Amino acid sequence: MNQTQADVLIIGNGFAGIVAANRLADAAVDVVLLDENLHIGGQLLRQVPERLGRAASHADHVKKAGRRFIAGVKAKKITVLNRTRVLGIYPGHEVLIEENEKKVRTLKAGRIILATGGREKFLPFPGWTMPGVISGGAVQVLIKSSGVLPAREILVGGSGLFLFSVAYECLKAGGRVRAVLERTGMLDKLPLAAQLPRQWPKLIEGARFMSRIIFSGVPLRFRTRVVEARGRGRLEQVVAAKVDGSGKIIPGREKTYETPLLAVSHGFAANVELAQMAGCGIEFLDERGGWVAVTDDHLETSVPGIYAAGEITGIAGALKSINEGEIAALAILHKMEKCAESDFKARMKKLLAARRRHLQFGKYFNLLYRIPAADYLAIPDETLVCRCEDVTMGELRKAVANGYDTPATLKIPLRTAMGDCQGRTCGPIIYDILAALTGRSQADMTPLVVRPPVKPIKIDSLASFSE
Amino acid sequence: MTDELRIAAVSRRPAIHIRVNGRSIAATPGETVLAALTAAGFSTLKKSNVRGEARGAFCGMGVCYECLVTVNGVPKQRSCMTEVQDNMEIQTYEPDPS
Repeated sequence: MNQTQADVLIIGNGFAGIVAANRLADAAVDVVLLDENLHIGGQLLRQVPERLGRAASHADHVKKAGRRFIAGVKAKKITVLNRTRVLGIYPGHEVLIEENEKKVRTLKAGRIILATGGREKFLPFPGWTMPGVISGGAVQVLIKSSGVLPAREILVGGSGLFLFSVAYECLKAGGRVRAVLERTGMLDKLPLAAQLPRQWPKLIEGARFMSRIIFSGVPLRFRTRVVEARGRGRLEQVVAAKVDGSGKIIPGREKTYETPLLAVSHGFAANVELAQMAGCGIEFLDERGGWVAVTDDHLETSVPGIYAAGEITGIAGALKSINEGEIAALAILHKMEKCAESDFKARMKKLLAARRRHLQFGKYFNLLYRIPAADYLAIPDETLVCRCEDVTMGELRKAVANGYDTPATLKIPLRTAMGDCQGRTCGPIIYDILAALTGRSQADMTPLVVRPPVKPIKIDSLASFSE
Repeated sequence: MTDELRIAAVSRRPAIHIRVNGRSIAATPGETVLAALTAAGFSTLKKSNVRGEARGAFCGMGVCYECLVTVNGVPKQRSCMTEVQDNMEIQTYEPDPS
């Protein structure tokens, strides 16, 4: 456990990370696989831990493959560091890590794979900070990792396929779903469907979700968005409204739901903070879901020896992450001269062709579910945007009007992105709001520079670091 | 009553006990503090930094820092990233079940 060197350090143990770890370990490469979470597998492969007991659940073929990769990580000679956070990445591939919220030390790696995944994005509305309003991801984590329903009955709202996945998991676990409120119209962007070639596994999975939801009698409300959450101290009521094709609320079509729990989700953003801190280039691409790490075909970033794989290069789901874990591992094996040239070329060609298809699939959904500027402009002034520092939309509007209209200058009057979460929750929202308020493209904005530590750290932990 | 939200299909180890705001509640080894709190009906976990408004778990996966509680006397611990241990002492900012 006190290893201080590794051939390859993989940051993130989701699909991309565990696939790369398996492939590298198979070639006798010395791998350290670290992640902040308690268990291996990332967000998609969450399952009831062995200590808790067995869950009666069936896995689709993607998850079954994932379980095999997890078993591989456990069986092979791979150093696994769970509950370990990266505090900083410095030149020469020196990485400052904190284990178990106690011990801080450095680890020097020949190469690094950033497989940091993505996180959910949100569209703020009045009352979204109230206890009882939680993310769609939180519902899945509670069900899959701890076997606990967030409430007997839940209401699901937002946009994206993930809403249906959340509803499905809840029904499967014996919970009830009051309704699914989907911001987008089902047929709004049909022309984009041409970008869905050969994605049968994904489409079949989606069809399975939908049929379970429909047969359970759950009302599906399209072109419907949550406008307010109400309650005294905790959630009691959710007000939803119909929107027209341009996203404008149609007056007089509000509906109030009595519910103890609202699960919200508006798609995903890539976790690019560590890439930024390591000095890797990032770029803004709507079709990839926002800010992503820039890589070459072999997934090497602009910093030699640092690779990026999975959602960090573009939001597109598990199949792309598996594919990119393979690509990054193969590229590294080739660089380490552990792979014959002809073999490398043939395998890489196949992998890259598959990657193009996965990116097309991601492009379809990223463009379909992109939150339009009009939705941000409709956020009422009193709505909180930054949860850590209690910053409202009105304060944001005022700051932008006063010329504080970039992510960096906004911090001066508002302290946005300076609280506990370090902008990880409100960052993507604020970038979108700035773009909506100023009419500028995010591609022309400089996202916040990330400095270590990326996450809050206790002084005791720092004190344990001596060298 | 606290088992109402625990999914029936999951077979569990014998319960352990933790104390929340001085009250004993049942928990299952392997689950997170947040899961145990949720199953026992605690949703109000902390006060927001500036306005002092009630907050509860939001992201559930260690990103948002909204589910902070005091664990065995150590303040500001993420309940979603902490596994329950027998006899753990949890303090939320205010009890919400009756």
